[in-house]
Amino acid sequence: MSAQKKFVKFFSQYAVVIIFVVITVAAIPPSGLSVKYILQEIITRLGRNSFLVLALLLPIYAGMGLNFGMTLGAMAGQIGLIFAVNFGISNWHGLLFALLVGLPISVFLGWICGLVMNRAKGREMVTGYILAFFINGIYQFFVMYMLGSVIPMGNRAIVLSRGYGIRNTLNLESVRQSLDNILVLHVLGFTVPVVTFIIIALLCIFIVWFKKTKLGQDMRAVGQDMVVAEAAGIPVEKTRIVAIIISTVLACAGQIIFLQNMGNLATYNAHDQTGFFAVAAILVGGASVTHASIANVFIGVMLLHSMFVVSPLAGQKLFGSAMIGEYFRQFIGYGVIALSLVLYAWRTRKAAADARLSLRGGANGSTKVRAVKNGANGAPGNGGQA
Amino acid sequence: MNGATKTRRLAIRGGLLVIYVVLMVLMILTGRRHTILIDNKDAADGSYSAINGMEVAIDRQESAEYYPGDRDKAMVQGQTHKIKVTVFDGNKTIEKEFKVPLWSDVMIISVPKLVAGIEPWIEPFTMAEQIQEAQESGPPAGETSFQSIGPAQPMEGEQAPPTP
Repeated sequence: MSAQKKFVKFFSQYAVVIIFVVITVAAIPPSGLSVKYILQEIITRLGRNSFLVLALLLPIYAGMGLNFGMTLGAMAGQIGLIFAVNFGISNWHGLLFALLVGLPISVFLGWICGLVMNRAKGREMVTGYILAFFINGIYQFFVMYMLGSVIPMGNRAIVLSRGYGIRNTLNLESVRQSLDNILVLHVLGFTVPVVTFIIIALLCIFIVWFKKTKLGQDMRAVGQDMVVAEAAGIPVEKTRIVAIIISTVLACAGQIIFLQNMGNLATYNAHDQTGFFAVAAILVGGASVTHASIANVFIGVMLLHSMFVVSPLAGQKLFGSAMIGEYFRQFIGYGVIALSLVLYAWRTRKAAADARLSLRGGANGSTKVRAVKNGANGAPGNGGQA
Repeated sequence: MNGATKTRRLAIRGGLLVIYVVLMVLMILTGRRHTILIDNKDAADGSYSAINGMEVAIDRQESAEYYPGDRDKAMVQGQTHKIKVTVFDGNKTIEKEFKVPLWSDVMIISVPKLVAGIEPWIEPFTMAEQIQEAQESGPPAGETSFQSIGPAQPMEGEQAPPTP
């Protein structure tokens, strides 16, 4: 392979990461922020967001693309937190209680999501996105009307003055950073929330272990080729539902971890951007619709959030308005998702064209045909294209 | 699937459900937060009087000094707690254990009652009750004047004082 071809292949594979690194590094000097400050922010945001982004991995392994339906799990986590605040349960007890309340809700929502996605094979991403809008309507009805009227709420401080419905913003002071503050380590002037990172590490170990189990292998087989997996006796639809249920449950726990770090809950829209930012982070980390790893999660969270930290101040210094930086965040987030999808489509099409070319007499034809079948770059996957 | 496997599976699922519910109840019991008001005021009927300087600590929280008329609050988690009172006069220390009812949000501890050994020294506190009590006991004796907004205007039918 010529050097130019090698460069094009490398660039197409890591285009999102490269562009992001360049933009972020370029924005650091005008922002005027110290490296220490940026590093501390990245550590905090790694603890806050990594769990949510890790929730995206299993559906990708199962060939279901990027699970925008994780928003459903986030809503379940929020309902759990509302009940924890209502009962006045504080500290990590409150977080565990919220998880226990959110768990059955997220399993139920994940099951519904899985059922719907099984009826929309190959269009899982857009289906998940729209399903999240639909369930959001039910969530709004539940929180705005049911809580306080049908389901009694003892804590009047969180109920709207009309007597039912939850206030727009909930103060999570009783559980604020209760997980992060269980054990805090001060290393080289940096504050590290140890327990939060231990939980994230445990999830990573779980994912590595899960991939080696029978169910994990089934998921990978389903992700590579559903027809072959079905012929091999793997219950394809059930496996896909399990993948989505686990993802939704993890998103529920992830949203609880995220909100305990933030310390307040925007009751009606905190979950709106959960899926969007998690997906943007994993794509920035070098993942694609069909291929992702734990490393992609951490690289993505670090890159995306370092840009989030520097962009408002860089916008302020360069254009005289911090809002420019805020717009930049949104623009970059959506841009990254769009670019990844375009690159994925382009690579798939190019791999198909190369395979056709090799069938006409090129060498290594069989290898390339397999590459087309398995998706771009030999990565597993047959679905997930929105 | 044979009958034994079915029964075993059902038993495991039932057991998990029980553990789940027990865990939830445990979180409510051990994690529920209560506000404790620490009060150092005289009794309305004069049965006890405020302590002339003391230090009060709840559980392992930082202690605070109280003087007559003071009232402060402490947040506690769970139901069983300890209160340690160190009275400055005579350097007497009293330690007592108390329980907070699960569904009670705010409790008030009257430290003078506690020191004098008058029961109950810990009672549930509700704002509505306090307002009602204040209304029942009537307005404070003596005339209330609002100096900053000038002398009180005479009521209708009331004789105005003669002007010089």
